[in-house]
Amino acid sequence: MDVKTGSSDIIGLDGTLSSTQFFLSALSFSDNWKRFNPSLPPWIWVQFPKHRFISSHNKVFEGYLSLENMCFNNLTQEEESNRSSTSKEECNTSHGEEEEELFDYATLVQSNCNEVNHYDFHIVYSPSYRVPVLYFRACHSDGQPLSFDEIEKDLPGHSSKLLSESKWTFITNEEHPYLNRPWYKLHPCGTSDWMKLLFQNDTSLNKNGFVIEQYLVSWFSVIGQVVGLKIPLGMMDTNVANHS
Amino acid sequence: MATESPSSIRKVVVHLRATGDAPILKQSKFKIAGSDKFAKVIDFLRRQLHRETLFVYVNSAFSPNPDELVIDLYNNFGFDGKLVVNYACSMAWG
Repeated sequence: MDVKTGSSDIIGLDGTLSSTQFFLSALSFSDNWKRFNPSLPPWIWVQFPKHRFISSHNKVFEGYLSLENMCFNNLTQEEESNRSSTSKEECNTSHGEEEEELFDYATLVQSNCNEVNHYDFHIVYSPSYRVPVLYFRACHSDGQPLSFDEIEKDLPGHSSKLLSESKWTFITNEEHPYLNRPWYKLHPCGTSDWMKLLFQNDTSLNKNGFVIEQYLVSWFSVIGQVVGLKIPLGMMDTNVANHS
Repeated sequence: MATESPSSIRKVVVHLRATGDAPILKQSKFKIAGSDKFAKVIDFLRRQLHRETLFVYVNSAFSPNPDELVIDLYNNFGFDGKLVVNYACSMAWG
């Protein structure tokens, strides 16, 4: 079997990876994303010098991948009309209040009158699960954070369905490990299990084995579906993607 | 996209392969129109297996978006005249 040398290591068979491997995979993912999604915001590696965790691994690899200011407008038409009608109502009430309280004019008129929501996504390595974890937050155009109910409306149908079933409480509001602010987090407990499945496949079709560079692409093909981010097929093709 | 091009009306042979503890289907191969979305394959599996949550993926180690066209998947990842689709029943988040 042709095993690639250098940074392209074959990862462990348990579906996990080390923080160094995460760093290497992140760089490759970021490059490929730029190549295949030139019109979308890039994934940028954010170096984190203030290492809060006492760890033995090389501090150079401390950080996370960040894609910020992604505009989402994937509401169904029905939801959209519902939303715009509620927005109008809110704007109308704002308008009414505004006549009484002139001082609050600017803030009241601005609120909820937008249609596009802005999302920030971070991919953070979890040392305890040894897998990448998706964190995200969302705000309106005016910077006001979205409530979780509003985020749920932006999520694809299958995700909101999962959310409505109690056993699938898979998104929670937790502290961002680097920024120490509340972000939404996709639970990583099952990640290594399905990552393991992804490369338990027919190796004859995947001659190079499962290389580190492809880890995040494979991971994101599943995670992206939860939040409605699509990954181009070309990025998934190991032959094309590894020719960089 | 050109929906009338010969490639999109072409039929694609999908080979469904069980992994883990997933039950094996009586009919593991079937033909599907290339212009159909991958969601149709997922729905078929759900109906056959009576499971709501499935983990469906192809051999190049990724899980296709349900919106992808079967023909696009076949053109990129088809092998030996068919598209191999793996499925597992366990899909846990946390």
